[in-house]
Amino acid sequence: MQTQHTQGAAPLRRREFLASASGLTLGFLLPSGPAEAAGKAAVNAWLTVGGDNSITVAIGSSEMGQGSFSGLGQIMAEDLMVDYGRIRFVQGGPTLAAGAPVGSSIATVGSSVTRNNFWRLRDAAAIARETLVQAAMNQQGDATRGNYAVDNGVITHLPTGTTYTYGDVAAAASKLTPPSSAPLVPDSEFKSIGLGKWRRDIPSKVDGSAIYGLDVRLPEMVYAVIKHCPTFGGALASVPSTPAGMIAVVPTTVVPASARGIETVGLVNAVAVVGPNTWDTWQAANRLRPNWTLPPSAVDLTDATMLAQAQALATGGTAYVPGGPNPPGTVYTVERSDTDPVAAIGGAKTVVEATYTLPYLPHMCMEVLNCTVDYVPGERCEVWAPTQMARNVLALVTGLTGLPESQVTIHTTLLGGGLGRKAEVDFVAQAVQVAMAVQRPVKLMWPRPEDATRDQYRPMALVRARAGLDASRRVVGWTYRNVSPSILGQRGVNLGPKGDSQGYEGSNELPYEFAAHLTEYVTHPSTIPVGFWRSVGASINTFAVECMIDELAAAAGEDPWLFRRKRLSDPRWLKVLNAAAKRSGWGQPVAGGGARGIAIGRAFNTICAQVVEIASVTATTIKVRRVTVAVDPYLVVNPLQVEAQIVGGVVHGLNAALYGGQTFSNGVPGRKNFNQIRMLRLNEMPKVVVKIIGRQGDADRSVPIGGIGELGVPTLAPALANAYFALTGQRRRDLPFFPGATMGGG
Amino acid sequence: MPTLTLNVNDQQHTVTVSDGSMPLLWVLRDLIGLTGTKYGCGIEVCWACTVWVNGQPEKSCVFDVSSAVGKRVTTIEGLSADRSDPVQQAWIKHQVPQCGYCQSGMVMAVAGARRAGHHGQEIAAEVKNVCVCGTYQRIHDAIGEL
Repeated sequence: MQTQHTQGAAPLRRREFLASASGLTLGFLLPSGPAEAAGKAAVNAWLTVGGDNSITVAIGSSEMGQGSFSGLGQIMAEDLMVDYGRIRFVQGGPTLAAGAPVGSSIATVGSSVTRNNFWRLRDAAAIARETLVQAAMNQQGDATRGNYAVDNGVITHLPTGTTYTYGDVAAAASKLTPPSSAPLVPDSEFKSIGLGKWRRDIPSKVDGSAIYGLDVRLPEMVYAVIKHCPTFGGALASVPSTPAGMIAVVPTTVVPASARGIETVGLVNAVAVVGPNTWDTWQAANRLRPNWTLPPSAVDLTDATMLAQAQALATGGTAYVPGGPNPPGTVYTVERSDTDPVAAIGGAKTVVEATYTLPYLPHMCMEVLNCTVDYVPGERCEVWAPTQMARNVLALVTGLTGLPESQVTIHTTLLGGGLGRKAEVDFVAQAVQVAMAVQRPVKLMWPRPEDATRDQYRPMALVRARAGLDASRRVVGWTYRNVSPSILGQRGVNLGPKGDSQGYEGSNELPYEFAAHLTEYVTHPSTIPVGFWRSVGASINTFAVECMIDELAAAAGEDPWLFRRKRLSDPRWLKVLNAAAKRSGWGQPVAGGGARGIAIGRAFNTICAQVVEIASVTATTIKVRRVTVAVDPYLVVNPLQVEAQIVGGVVHGLNAALYGGQTFSNGVPGRKNFNQIRMLRLNEMPKVVVKIIGRQGDADRSVPIGGIGELGVPTLAPALANAYFALTGQRRRDLPFFPGATMGGG
Repeated sequence: MPTLTLNVNDQQHTVTVSDGSMPLLWVLRDLIGLTGTKYGCGIEVCWACTVWVNGQPEKSCVFDVSSAVGKRVTTIEGLSADRSDPVQQAWIKHQVPQCGYCQSGMVMAVAGARRAGHHGQEIAAEVKNVCVCGTYQRIHDAIGEL
């Protein structure tokens, strides 16, 4: 979730070749987190070339729909010089590769899988290729590299025409010392990177054979269904007796890795009913009436109260004190120009002020949270989880069971959507606790109402922005304050002078020419658990920033596109902005009396602009006709995948902007299922056009590669709100547009 | 504990349930082991659980198993033996799925509409399956061929 800027020139820090009878295995390091920093996990991905010509890559990142496994295969195919279809990716990586250090897996967050692994995968593939070629040269007895060519895994000795498949020389290669580096395929000769290859997982996703977490079945498995206290912060008062026909009722405790918001470590906030199948167990859980002890503070967890707190902090709060306790209500300075922006606004000809609000937003992954555990005391614990964070799962399981890592196996299943929610491990902690209690293989499921209410939401936010224009319509001052509960603060992170990096992303380092500016972040006291929702802070701040820019354009009497263009100077931003405007037909009349709105932003090193064209507005919805997106991630591995992710992000952004949000009354969430959390359906889909802007010339390791998975989201809401203004003359500053929207069965 | 015999994908399955009101979805997934049919909402809103009963698309999350006795149940696993159904072929050609979780139900709903003689935008208007990944544009492209 933290934007990482570390990809690029970093060399492979450690390589190991493991000799084996059948082939060559190369272990290499992919970027990871704390365990790597501690020197614990030196190798976390494995490339194996088998004597049977098979090529397998075991990797610890997760496939949750973004298609990165296919993309990673495309990357490796290039420098291995084999057809993309020959590389097999194995999920769960390290724990599946013999002799690999367990638990060294990668987090699948921050739109990072492709951009953080691109160069390392290429280096590893090139080194493996040259080691295989070296083995062939030894066998041929001709040490002149220029006498050999490689094509689709076949090494040809050109003077004689003798050929060696990778499989022929894999065993011999495994006994060689690999080169420390190897030349990469030049961009001009790419046969794989940059092409719209088909995804490998799609056949299994049209015939029902793809296995998600909820599909895991073990022999003698029993079923557990979770039932939380309906009120955040509530605790179980007494353990209910086991209902007839059920196996057990297991209280579950909040453990350190899942401590969030009001739910403190050790709090027994749920019970799991264990029974013979999902349905009977779920019905028993529904009938169960546990006694809960509710915290007095829950009364503050009510929408109106939380909004009033945010409004007070829009101008109030206490300044950050270095080394101080800095409780909620602290004002952090993210950025401040030397010139005083407040004074500059005071002297401006025109002053614009606006307040924007965004709700708590649930994730609503199609696949509800679930986890399957097979635990044998003192012997082993095996976990199947649709997780974005296999590493955290491993740490959790070793902590709960007391088993060493060598006796714990984590299987990362396919994810039926992750969206940031499956980066948390609360559901895994519960499943492990249940398995330890019943000592049988058990699958734990959260029914949809539990999944929708017991979320770790995108934080609510209130943004107050002020800006001034002088007589020549220059932006002489800009002040921006985001009041929001802190994701990292709730996790015990010391925020430092700038506040929560997850909270202010999208509000800092703005590309516009402001003569003076001040960006502040203020922690809101609400203890509703908050977490990472696709694009995190960028989805909050890009809405407020780009709506405010639009308000300034209107105050200046300028076209919203031209207003932005005049105040941008970075050529990449300008190119993206202009591409979106041009492709959308900006400036030309909209058929049928509709209107367009524009927005631009950056997240995860990628710049994205959107133009939303709306046709009409009713009391219950907005007819969105067309969305034009221009996106510059610098480097593209698969344009089909980029397009899919951006289009999907547009839909996700529309769901959130039009209808998304949770409500709270005395700590109890109000919306429990899709009927109350409306989503776009097929017949409401606008036409989405995606223009991908790539690099000029060959890829440069020193330029950060941008992410894609989350990039369709942040600019959608402001472009939609700006289109609404263009059509109606009214600003919509509060999301969602239609807070009470419902959805029927159809 | 009633014991029922079901015809699922042209195979007979005998299952013992605590009550005939158990939804077909959970009988398929937990008792028979056909996990291609997915749970999404449990209240027939998202349509992820769509199967056919006597060729008619039904939301299996609210379809009592006792009502399926004596009828032909078709799940995604039984739509074709080799992904040869035109809907499956169109889904592959247009690279529709992302996470893929909703697509079993989506394919069954679209294939049901197609076998009922509907085409193109007729199908798009009647299929209400929710896809949180937002694959609708490619679904429109794929349906355009049907």
